[in-house]
Formats: sequence, C-alpha cells, structure tokens
Amino acid sequence: MKKSILFLSMIFLAITANYATASAADRITASIDPPIIQANMGDKITYVGTITNNSDRAVTNIIAYISLANVTQGRESPMDLEDWSANKAIKVDTIPPHGTYKGQWPMRLIDSGSYVAYITVVDKNDNTPISSTMSRLEIKRVLRLNPNNVLPVAVGEPMIIGVILTFIVIRRRKRII
Amino acid sequence: MKIAYIMQKEIRESILTPKGFLWYAITSMILSVLSYLFLTNSELSLLDQGQMLYMIMNFITALGILIGLVFGADAFAGEIERGTLEALLLSPITKTEIATGKLGAALTNWGILFAISLPYLFVVGKGGQNLFVGIAYLALLGTFLAITFSAFSMGLSSRIKSVKNSLIISFFIFLLAGSPIFLSAAQRGTWFGRIIDFINPFAGAINTFDSVVIDSQGFGYQAGRVAIICGYTLLSLWFLKRSVSRLEM
Amino acid sequence: MIISVENLAKKYDGYTALDGLNFTVEHGDIFGFLGPNGAGKTTTIRIMTAILKADSGNVLIDGHSIFGEPLAVKKIINAVPESNGYYEWMAACEYLEFFSHLYKEKISKQEVDKLLEIVGLHGKESHLIRSYSRGMRQRLGIARALINRPKLLFLDEPTNGLDPKGRRDIHDLLIDLNRDHDTTIFLSTHLLDDVERLCNRIAIINYGKIVRAGELDRMKGKGTIEDIFFLSTKEGTL
Repeated sequence: MKKSILFLSMIFLAITANYATASAADRITASIDPPIIQANMGDKITYVGTITNNSDRAVTNIIAYISLANVTQGRESPMDLEDWSANKAIKVDTIPPHGTYKGQWPMRLIDSGSYVAYITVVDKNDNTPISSTMSRLEIKRVLRLNPNNVLPVAVGEPMIIGVILTFIVIRRRKRII
Repeated sequence: MKIAYIMQKEIRESILTPKGFLWYAITSMILSVLSYLFLTNSELSLLDQGQMLYMIMNFITALGILIGLVFGADAFAGEIERGTLEALLLSPITKTEIATGKLGAALTNWGILFAISLPYLFVVGKGGQNLFVGIAYLALLGTFLAITFSAFSMGLSSRIKSVKNSLIISFFIFLLAGSPIFLSAAQRGTWFGRIIDFINPFAGAINTFDSVVIDSQGFGYQAGRVAIICGYTLLSLWFLKRSVSRLEM
Repeated sequence: MIISVENLAKKYDGYTALDGLNFTVEHGDIFGFLGPNGAGKTTTIRIMTAILKADSGNVLIDGHSIFGEPLAVKKIINAVPESNGYYEWMAACEYLEFFSHLYKEKISKQEVDKLLEIVGLHGKESHLIRSYSRGMRQRLGIARALINRPKLLFLDEPTNGLDPKGRRDIHDLLIDLNRDHDTTIFLSTHLLDDVERLCNRIAIINYGKIVRAGELDRMKGKGTIEDIFFLSTKEGTL
C-alpha cells in the first residue's frame, strides 16, 4: 500500500513538474521582427517584439528586454547597448488571456559587423525566462570623407591662420634690427 | 582713451606676434582634428550632434581660461621683471586704467579664440539641436570666465611680482577649475562632487552647456548657475582692482 | 621752490630706508642727490615721482602734494629710472608715440623726430630698441622723459655703465636742457665726477637721513667733493 502511494506520488510529481516546466515556456512566447536586417552604420532601425500570452489567465508585471550579441568572426562578444538604444527594457503591466503585446525597440546602429538580436521576457512567477528566436543583423561600414562639409573648415581654417602667421613673421623680419 | 592705447600695446606685444598666433594655429589644428574625427570616425561620428557640440564648447572654454591665466600671470610681473613697469607708472595714468587696458587685451584674446571656434561649431552642430543657443551661451559664459580667470591671474601677478610663481599658481587654479573632468559621474553625484560643481565656475559653465545643448533646458533653469558665474566675475574684478591699487615698485 | 620734502619716512619689513628726510630744491637747479649704495636715493625718487608711498611726511612738487594730487604731479615731472627697461620689440618712434599718448592725444612725427634729435638719436627712429646699445637706450629714456616737456626731471644713475664719451654726451644734454629749456634736474648718483660737472646744489643722504646739503661750491670750499662725500658718509657720522 505504502509502496503504491509512493509510486503514484512520484508519477504525479513528474507529470506536474513537466507540466510546470512546459507551462512557463508555453504560457508566454516571444518573437522578434524582422528576422533579418541589413543596414548601414548610423542607420536607425526598430525591432518589434511580440509577446503572446497563451494561457487562460492574464499575466502581469512582466519585463521584456532586447539583447544584442556580436557574432562577427573573431570579435564575438555581448554588446553594451548604452549608445545603441535608449530603452532596452520594457515593463508590461498586463497581457490578457490569449492576448498579445507588441513592444518597440528603436536602435541606432553604432558599429559595423554581424550581430544577433533577441527579446527576453521575464515573469517573476516563473523559473525560466523566455527568449525569442534570434534576428540576424548585418551592419555595413560606411566611409564618409566630408560629412557636413567639414573638410573646407578643417583644412581651410588652419591654412588661413597659417597665412596670417607667415605674414606676421615676414613683417617682423622686415623691421630693422 | 589711455586705456585703449594700453590695450593696443598689449595686443601688439602678445597677440599680433608669431608666438601669439602660434597659439591660434595650434588651436585651429586641434579643432580641425576633433571635428573631422567627430564627423568621420566610425564610432565618434555616431555621437549625438549635441554631444559633439558640447565637447567642442568645453574645449574652447577650457582653452580660453588657460590662455587668460597665462596672459594674466605675465601682465604685471612680466613688466616688473623686464623693467618696463616703472616708466608706465611714471606716466599720468592710474593703475586701474593700466589694468583695464591689459584686461581688454585678454578679452581680445578670448574673442579671437571664439571667432576661430565658430566655423567648427557650425560644421559639427549643423542639423543638430540647439546650435545657435549653444553658441550664445558659449559667448556669454566664455566671456565671463575669460574675465574671471584673467582678472584673477592679473591680480595675483601684481601681488606676487614673479612670472614663474604666478604661472605655477595659475596652473594650479586651472587644474582645480578643471577638476570636474577628473571626477567620474558617480563621484560628481556625491556631496563632495556636488559642492565642487556648485562653487566651481567652470563646472557651472559646462553643466550649463550640457543643460542647454543636450537637454534643451531654458534660461530659467540656468539662471542660478549664470548668476554664480557673474558673481565670480565681479569678485575677480574687485580682487584685481584691490591688488593693483596696492602695486608699488 | 620746486621740491619741498618734509620729514619723509619709509620702512621696508622693519628696515628703515628713510628716516625723517628734509630738503628743498629751487627752480632751475641741477640738484645732485648723493649717497652710498643703499642710502635711500632710489626710494626717495620713487616717492617723489608718486610710484611709491611713504609711511609719513610730506612732499610738494611745484606746490602740488604728491600724495593728494599724484596725477597732477605726473603731468609736470618725468623721470629716467634706474631700472630702465624698454619694449624691445618697438621701434624708437613707436616707443615715444606710445608714451606720448599717455600724456596727450597726439604727437606728430616732427615732434618725435625733434625729441630724438635732441638726444642724439636722429636717423635711428625706425630701428628696433632691441638693437640699441646701452648708451642709446639711456638717450631714448631721456627722450621719453622729455615727452611732456617736464618742469622737473628726475634721473636715477643716468650714466651708469656708460663709456666716457657716453657720459660726456649725457652731461652735455642735461646742461642744455637746464639752460635752454629751463628744466630743473634732480640727479641721483654716486658718481662724484657727474656731480662735479653738472650740479650747482647737492644733498648727501646716508642711512635715510640728509647729512649735508647746500650749494656745491660753498660746501667744497678749498677741498674736493670727495672730501665732503667721504667725510659725510663716514661710519659713525650720524
């Protein structure tokens, strides 16, 4: 009898544990759009993250944030989004049952290379965070030689001052010593 | 009119000289490199334009202060060491008039620096926010700071009567004034950092530039800091007047 | 009288430079102010030219108090100080023009040329002061001191470091100024030859006090000026 109860309890726990694990992942799902971006340095893009509540109960006070990783060959590293994005994390007050929330993550593309971006959702009532699939981001380097017409000033002004300086030196030398 | 002749003499002696113009040439080259890097370098070029404008404004202000301190250190002590002050004092011109003429020349120095910086500011800030209001604040606060530090340095020069010692103290003052740069953002948020920010006129100026150019705050927000900077200007002018009135051979 | 000094006193950090100085100078004098080094000659001149303040006493220059009306005094006097520095980057004419503007609004080129001619620098007006010899600089200093046609001219060791010809030229210049332009000259020096040649009246200062004053010829009597000087400045004389 005791053995039977123990055996049944173990089966029950296994089923509920599996259900608990599955429930976090299935209850909330996240996706990121667009799946691929090709852009230039300096461009501004916006990722849209969709968070879906697949359960019968509303989810409240969840946090969603975007992450970026550099996957360029030889330069693999996580990215600090300090200069890329102002709002990296969003707090969502509530998503109704079977409802969705679309969040926007605008970003300025600071450096060239190959990257992946993904959205992560955290619900404090669960043990596991939920991640979206990765969006591929290819950023091309753009060489700008004369933005804002900087060259005429950067080259011209020191030249003008140099000419005045030369004039002053010559004028000084001409005075009788 | 005597003040104008003193000022003219000082300008001819210190500014319209190869050494004087070398300062401007070097300033211009540094600004050229800075502005070119800001706009073309892969990471720097993606700084917000307000940020770029802010950095150049800080550089010009710091340079204006430094040149004012160096100019002031030589103003009276240099004339004493070269033996030329006595002839000036023999003339029917008051010491205050002499000091005013020299201060006018120091301000001319600042004016030239400001004029040199204008094309760079326009090029870096073009299309960005708060360019014209930023330039206006640079003109206003830069002038106040140029007067403050030049007058203080000149007063010191007339009391110490030694160019070397005046320069040493002036550089020390410059480091103190520039101390906000050495403190981290976290340190500046501490009570100590806040006190430094409050009493330091240079910190007041760069905080104002930040507030105006990057955060787009109006004059009402800056009024307190501007008032403090004006206070320092008046204090330094008083110090100069008092110092030169006691000047004797 | 053009100078009246009464009970002039000055201390530097506890050291007494002038200790109740009293003397007068008459219009038209070439007045010699003698004393050994450190006697107080330069201090006296600096006070009389209003570039140093006395601790006590009174100085009247042509009736004007040096302490009450320093600017009025500066308009009628001038000086060639001992520490005679120049703006070496200027040409001589520019130097004189600059100082003339401090006395009056305009000086013509002719006036500048005339001044330089008086001091023997004619033809050197465009030369930079940097290129001037010591003697030429002294002359330029005198030219500057003549810009306002002063009634009273102070000279502090004007022939120091000059060769005999240079000294003689300065002497002749001063005699001409006194005779032809009616300029009273106050000459501070420790060179007795200069005094002998130029001065009609002298005062000898030692340890901040006048030890002897009066007409030179009368003071000399049958002796020499060296006799008067060494006798007056002997240790223990005071």
